[in-house]
Parts: sequence; C-alpha cells; structure tokens
Amino acid sequence: MDNETGVPAPQPVDPRFMIVRRTALRFTVAVGAGVTLLVLLIVFAAADELPGWGRAGLGTLWLVAVAAGVRAGGRWPAREHAHLRYALSDEALCIWSGVYWRRAIEVPRSRVQHTDVSQGPLERRHGLGTLVVYTAGTDHARVALPGLAHEVALALRDDLRQDHRDDIV
Amino acid sequence: MTSSEQRLHPASILFDIARYARMFAWPALLAFFGVGRQTMGSGRYDFDVSRIEVWLWVLLVPSVALSLARYFTFRIDYTADALVIRSGIVFKNVRHVPYARIQNLDAVRNPFHRALGVVEVRVETGGGGGEPEARLKVLPESAVADMRARVFAGRAAVAPSARAGAEPAALAVGDPARGVDDGAAADADAGTAAEGVTLLHLPIKELLLCGFLENRGMVLVGAAYGALWQMGLQDRVWSWLFSTNIDARDVARGVVLALMGREPLSLPLVAMGLGGVAAFLLLVRLISMVWAFVRLYDFRLTRHGDDLRVQFGFFTQVAATIPLRRIQSVTVQRGWLHRWLGRAAVRVETAGGRAGAATRDREWVAPLIREHDLPALLAQVLPGVDVAAAEWHGVHPRAFRRAVKPVLLVAVIPSVVALSLLGWRALLLVVPVLAWMVVRTRQHVRHLSWAAGDDLVAFRSGWFNRHDTLVRTSRIQAVTTTASPFDRRAAMAGLRVDTAGAGEVSHRIDVPYLAADLAARVREQLARRAAHTTFRW
Repeated sequence: MDNETGVPAPQPVDPRFMIVRRTALRFTVAVGAGVTLLVLLIVFAAADELPGWGRAGLGTLWLVAVAAGVRAGGRWPAREHAHLRYALSDEALCIWSGVYWRRAIEVPRSRVQHTDVSQGPLERRHGLGTLVVYTAGTDHARVALPGLAHEVALALRDDLRQDHRDDIV
Repeated sequence: MTSSEQRLHPASILFDIARYARMFAWPALLAFFGVGRQTMGSGRYDFDVSRIEVWLWVLLVPSVALSLARYFTFRIDYTADALVIRSGIVFKNVRHVPYARIQNLDAVRNPFHRALGVVEVRVETGGGGGEPEARLKVLPESAVADMRARVFAGRAAVAPSARAGAEPAALAVGDPARGVDDGAAADADAGTAAEGVTLLHLPIKELLLCGFLENRGMVLVGAAYGALWQMGLQDRVWSWLFSTNIDARDVARGVVLALMGREPLSLPLVAMGLGGVAAFLLLVRLISMVWAFVRLYDFRLTRHGDDLRVQFGFFTQVAATIPLRRIQSVTVQRGWLHRWLGRAAVRVETAGGRAGAATRDREWVAPLIREHDLPALLAQVLPGVDVAAAEWHGVHPRAFRRAVKPVLLVAVIPSVVALSLLGWRALLLVVPVLAWMVVRTRQHVRHLSWAAGDDLVAFRSGWFNRHDTLVRTSRIQAVTTTASPFDRRAAMAGLRVDTAGAGEVSHRIDVPYLAADLAARVREQLARRAAHTTFRW
C-alpha cells in the first residue's frame, strides 16, 4: 500500500459511484432530450413553410444527438471513476480527478477548517456520501470528494477531525 | 446521537416564513395591484379575489412546508471537540465545525427576536467563502449561553497545546472578542503613533521617480477625458486645444493621410508627428509624477511589534495597519525601467484577522525601493524566512515547444481568414504577428522560474514586467497540480498554491510547464511542509 515516500497509494472511490453518476447523467440527458423535443415540436407547429426534408433532417439530428448523449452517459461514469482517486496520509488529503483536464488537490490536514458529509437522494439510495473539506483558501475554499461509501466518508471525516486535537500546534 | 442534540427554537418556523414572505412581497404586490387595476372601474376593492388567493397559495404553501421541513431536520449537537450541525431534507448534510477553529460566535437580535426571546447565532471559522460557516436561525436565548460554554470548554481542552504554537503573532484562542478589539485598537492609533522602526521613507525625489515608473498618467488622462465627455465639454476642449495651435491639426491630418497612403510622407511631418507623440507620452508621465506626489506624499512604512504601518498622502492622508500574521503573500514587481534603475515595488496581500467578515486587501508596503534595501525589507515582512537562500529553478527544457503549440493553433484561424480575405498581402500582417507571438512565448517561458524551500515557495514571471510572488509555507492552504491534454502529451503539469484572500487578477503562485513527476513531488513536499505548520487568522 505504501510506496517508497511513505505516502499511501491513491485509492479508487466506491464502484457504486458509477451507478449514481450514470443515473444522474441519464436524468440530465432525458431532461435535455425532452426540452429539445418540445422546442422541435413547437418549431414544427409554428413554421408552416418548413419543407418535409427539413423536418426529417431536424428529427434525425435530434435522434442522433440523443443517441450520442445516451452513449456518452453510459461510458462517461466509468472513465470518471477511473480517474477519481484519493489518499489520506498522515499529513494531507489528496484528491485526483478529471478525465481530460487532470487535477490533483492536496489539502494539508492542519488547513482543514471544517468538514461536511453530505448525501443527495441518489447517493443515499446507494449508500454513498460526499466528503467536503473547507479551507481558508480562495480557489479551494471548498474541496469535495464524491463517491465514497457513507461509512468511509464518515471514517475519513473522523480521521481528519481527530487530527485537530493532536496536531493543533 | 446523545441527549445533547438540540433543535432550533420553534419560532424558527415563523422567522423562516417571514423571510419567504419578504422575498415574495414585491411580486405579490405587483400581482395585487396589477389585478386591481384591471377591474378598477367598478370600485377600489372590486378586484378578482380568487386570483390573489391562488397567488398566496402558490407562494405560501411551499414556503411553509419548507420551513417546517427545515425545522424538523435541523439539529445541533456537541461532540467532545466539534459542533455538529445536521440539515437537509432531500440533500442531507452533516457539518463538523471544530471548536478550535471557531473564530466568532455572533448573536444577532432584532426587535422581533427580542420579543420572542430568541437569537440568531452565526458561527464563523474564517473559511474562504466569506459567509458564516453556520447560521443558526433561531435559538432560544438560554441555548446561546450553553453553546458559548460548550464551545469554550471544548476549546480550553485544546488550547494549552495551541498556545505553544510557533506563530509569534497568533491570535489568542481564548476570547473571540479579542480579534475585534485588537484590530480596532491598532487601527485607531495607527495615525498617531510615531515611534516604531522606520523601514522605508520615500523622499520627494523617489516619489517623483515612483510616479514616473508607475506611469498611471494614461489612466488619469482617460478618466479626465471621460469626465469631460460626461459633462459634454470635450468638443470645447478639443477646439480650444487645436485653435491655439493650428499646426497640430494639420500635422495630425498629414500623418493620417500619409499613413493611409494618400499623400507622400514628408520628413518634417514625420518629425513633428513623432515629436507630438513623444511630448504626449512625456506629459502623461509628468501627470503620473504629480499624481504620485499627491497620493503617496511622505510615504512611511514602520514596524510596531508585530504590525506594519503605512502612512502617506498629501490631501487624503492614509494610515493603515498591516498585522504581519495577516500577510498571505508578498509580490515584488519590477518593470524594465525599475530593473534599469535598480528599483522594485513591493505589495502584500492580506486576509482575515478581523473576527467576523474575512477582509482581503492588496496593499503597498513599498511603492518604490532600492534593490539593495529590498532584502532587509523582505526580512521584516517575512520574518524568519531567508529569501536570498531560495533556489530558483527554470521550467521544463521543452516548455517552449509545449507553450507555442496552442498559441499557433489559436493563431491559425484568424490567419486563414486574413489570407482568404486579403490575399497574399495579408502575409505582411500575419508573418510579423506570428513572429511576435512566437518571440513573446519564447521570452515568457524563458523568464519563468520557481523556488520551493522549507519555509517559502516562490514564483517569478514576466519578460518586461517581472513579478516575484513569495508565500510562506505556513500560509499555504492547498496545493494543486493540473494537466491539460497539451500538458499530458508533453508529460508536463502546472503547480498552483492556494492562499487565503488571493485576488482575481493578482500575481499568484501558478507555475506552468513542469515535468509531471516533478510537479507531483513538489506538491507532496509543499503539502507535507505546510501540514507541519499552523495557520491562524
């Protein structure tokens, strides 16, 4: 688990994160498809002079876009999951994320001001939670780590909190 | 959890509903009068009542439901070391605010609160957001005393170790009110106190030089022109300017016509044109000098214990106190003229401190300082940090190749457009612009450097206008590495250091084009070093 520098190896988040993300993305795609379909129907109803091939073209475009959305929504969560990692060492919490634009945020334990463990409805259904760490910083005043099993999120929270007592100096 | 779990006062529901009602008051009024006017003919009260009822139902029912739900889900609990706040109906949240981090417990009471014997409590830890970390609306009055007692009891358990902190100017943890008193007292006597060690005083000669180098004259000219335009006077000023000097208009017209290729360019015209431009630039610098003289007159930086004080101004006299512990980063700026004349300007970014609203500011500690006095000043501003010992490194050897690719990629589109519109003549424009972009990128990359020592992290950038930003390890809040697809192709990454109160536009520690593994190593190192220091407002 430890590499030569004594820092724990990056850990993946819970696989159920993918289910939650997939559901959320599907929902987003469905809403998007519904709204665009509505717009399309209004256009069809309003524009009388729109020729038949125009209607067919727009309809096909809509179908293709929705299909692409569904496909991406199916694959994206796995890629997100693959690139979301975290490690809590004795000194800092580090979170890796991002599929194309990669980012690693490292928050020293002694800079954690306070913490949240939150659960949205989807997360609650799958027993997941999000750990949110607050710092006094500017860009990273709020650092979130989603996709943790709720117990793990609580354990990490307690681990981070424990630290305030010993390491306050 | 335990029996210490508390709810809000039932009056919370009332206050919550009142808040929603206030929010809806304006649209409700509009609707009311809108409806009223439609049926005004038959009498003042003869409007369509049912529609108002509909509005009330639409607005009130959800807000009452929300308020009730909020009341029944909001819980406060006290653990051994933290205040725990549970909230949320659909999105559940559990927030832990450690007692040791609580800066301030503000109790707010308006007349309604007083009438009902309740208090709104704001818990602040001085996080980056600027908002209180928790608003407890509303608690019974007795609960506040209880909360204070618990928080301070919890804190006292932690305090003995905290007091031994390495920070010399750390705010005492015991009494939250002290933060306010300290700040207020320090600000109050900042103007009168004359003792203390003078670190920098700008004589008139340096002030004028500062104005010359800062070159803010153009801003003033712009502002003045804007003001004239606002008052509709600019035509008169122009005609006054050019009627006294008829030649000027001819010169200007001559130059413009010549530039457009309508008339041959005559040498006297060129000379006069250039002379005019030079005179204008000189005038702008002169204005800037006068402005610096007025604004920064008698600039004096002194140190009183753990506070820096700056005093300056001819008409508007400014006296500001900068507690050393509030300094989050220091930026040394040197334009090319600064470097030529052996001068620099120093600015600090401060944050927090005053319990309550986390203040942030950028302040001059030295609008102009001689290069050989700079180390002594930095030693005062960053006590215990050896800036001279910093080992500066350049960025990745292949950084230029990495940096120039996106620049050229972006330049392709306008170049193609220009070529297709203007034909081969466009090359006259495209080639110099591209060459300039390449040279600029080359120089930009060449002038990037960074240093990461035990108690200091620093970043330098700028070709003509150079900025060095210095951050003490104890002021680091978070360290990030980022890699765009371009970076990843080149196995590079950028390194950023987040501090409290960093401005949007200010020069920050943001080192691009490092080898990816090096960036990761430095990130870990900095985070580890920061973890072993304390940050306190």
